[in-house]
Amino acid sequence: MLSRDGISGLVCLATSAVLLTQTFGLPPATVVPIGPAFYPRVVLSILGLLSVILIVLDFRAMRTASAPAAAPTAGPPPNYRLVLATFIEFGLYILLLPPLGFRIATFLFVLSLQVTLEWPRSTKHWLLAIAVAAATSLICYLVFQDYLSLLLPRGTWSNM
Amino acid sequence: MNHYELLLTHMGTVLHLQYLVPLLVGTIAGVIGGALPGVTITMTVIVVLPFTFGLDPLQGLAAMIGVYVGGSAGGSITASLIGIPGTPSAVATTFDGFPMTKKGEAGRSVWVGVWSAFIGGALGGLCLIELTGPFASLALAFGPWEFFSLFVFALSMVAGLVGRSVTKGLLSGAIGLAVTIIGPDPILGVQRFTMGIHPLEGGFDFLPVLIGIFAFAQLMPDVEQLNAYDPTKAVAATKLSLKVSHLSVFWDILCRPFILLWCTFIGIVIGVLPAIGGSAANIMAYDQAKKFSKRPEKFGTGIPEGIMASESSNSANVAGSLMMIMAFGIPGDAVTAVMMGALTIHGIQPGPLFISQHPKIAYGIYAAYLVALPLMVAVIWAGSRAWMRIIMMPKSMLIPIVLVLCVIGAYALSNSMKDVYVLALFCVIGYAMVKARIPLAPLILGVVLGDQIEANLIQAVSTDANPWLFITRPISGAMLAASVLSIGLAVWQHRRETKRRAAAAAEEEDTDF
Repeated sequence: MLSRDGISGLVCLATSAVLLTQTFGLPPATVVPIGPAFYPRVVLSILGLLSVILIVLDFRAMRTASAPAAAPTAGPPPNYRLVLATFIEFGLYILLLPPLGFRIATFLFVLSLQVTLEWPRSTKHWLLAIAVAAATSLICYLVFQDYLSLLLPRGTWSNM
Repeated sequence: MNHYELLLTHMGTVLHLQYLVPLLVGTIAGVIGGALPGVTITMTVIVVLPFTFGLDPLQGLAAMIGVYVGGSAGGSITASLIGIPGTPSAVATTFDGFPMTKKGEAGRSVWVGVWSAFIGGALGGLCLIELTGPFASLALAFGPWEFFSLFVFALSMVAGLVGRSVTKGLLSGAIGLAVTIIGPDPILGVQRFTMGIHPLEGGFDFLPVLIGIFAFAQLMPDVEQLNAYDPTKAVAATKLSLKVSHLSVFWDILCRPFILLWCTFIGIVIGVLPAIGGSAANIMAYDQAKKFSKRPEKFGTGIPEGIMASESSNSANVAGSLMMIMAFGIPGDAVTAVMMGALTIHGIQPGPLFISQHPKIAYGIYAAYLVALPLMVAVIWAGSRAWMRIIMMPKSMLIPIVLVLCVIGAYALSNSMKDVYVLALFCVIGYAMVKARIPLAPLILGVVLGDQIEANLIQAVSTDANPWLFITRPISGAMLAASVLSIGLAVWQHRRETKRRAAAAAEEEDTDF
């Protein structure tokens, strides 16, 4: 089975192959000697070639019986549940920004991510998490909207 | 007005509150960001970026220069006090800084680092002021062939030097170039690879890509290990006293002039080389200081030479990076890449004409850099009691705030959600690359230079269709030869290292039996 190098190589190879086929649909050169397809073809060919090299190197590494086994990583194993939860909450935040608006969506995101990353063990911790979420939302809104004149998303549902 | 009169005039400008406040705020943010383990200078400059959109270009740049200078020195505080480098550019500071702290000399450990950074930075600043102009004049003699070859050289060198695998480095650079081919072509505006998706028709803006790539790539490793952090070390460090005689610290540094000058020189050279940055400069300088020392066996036991080497090179590296962006328009590292993005938002293109077309900003950068150095010392001195408490700020609180600022940074670029979706896409790609152990720096340089490589290629071929000119023109040919050489050298070094490791592993196996 391929390792992460081989998988990365395959993903890049597939991407470069798909895009390379699309270059044949681009119009030929008219004004300048090289057309809009020339440079992408060079870049994608290099990407494809490097991907193949990465896959071949991965196969060779697997076949080399004498290759030393990877040393066990120091420290505790990574907590991928937290990573997945962070990705999901971040994705939801981005999706909910236009309907809820910056202030509400940011408050909910900062509060929920704090709680996910470290569950508050007492009422004091809960209050602190709520205060941080409210302060982040309001301070960012005031600084960017009022002081720096940058318009932040206004909610289509909440009108805030 | 001559060179130094202009500099003095702009020093006066930067000392006005209008510029001094952003510079000071940037320096404070830089010191804190640099000192917080896991929050790098790149992350801090990304967080500061949205605050600069509403400011004039020099105000914004002053804030970013403050972050850069403050962050370079801030990383040494945690490196010295708790043995965890605040930034990758302070790794070598832990080798002697932490042992010195354990010997009961916490103040000396921190301040040897800070004053070395100050002196190294000042010497670097002198080079920045003196050499940027001549470099820019040299770049003015470049035609499209030379620029094309220079950009290819920069990319190949970064791809070869960053990370453990040359193939992955080059692959990362190629991915960066591939990002830039999506959207309109530079001559006719023909849409390429947009797949009918309307928001892709403008291509990818560089800043949301950069913010996305670095945001999750740098924060998620902290999330993975969130509950494994042992705060007892940091709690113990809050009780340390940083009181020290600054005269004796100065004597510690000035009685070792060779190490100071040599490591500063290494820092500047590494800064000039594209996208390598302080993370390589401090290790190389430490290694050089050890090689030239009369007492190499003492390195790692808590001697000032080790801290000086790391911090002076690290600080001087900032000047080298600024020189490269101002003279050639090539970012020395991710921080200057963000600065370049901020400049382009204001319609300013860094490169050979930058100093002559925008003297106010160019001299403002010099002045802000020189003013940031004493500010950095003052900020660290004034906050010496508070730093350890700030460093202990829970990651669960910090990460959501940083992510919100990343979203604002992307959204504020064009007041549209399109850039936020691009940010989200590249957050996933950045984290996937970290897990695949593919270095990020070549990708960023590829994204920054991709359009310029294509534009110069087309311009060169349109001027003269003879492709051999890329090789027969001396500077262009030399750059392309250097590109091939740097990749060849990187492959050779990698193979040698692999063989050495295999031999060491075999030897270890023999001793087991």
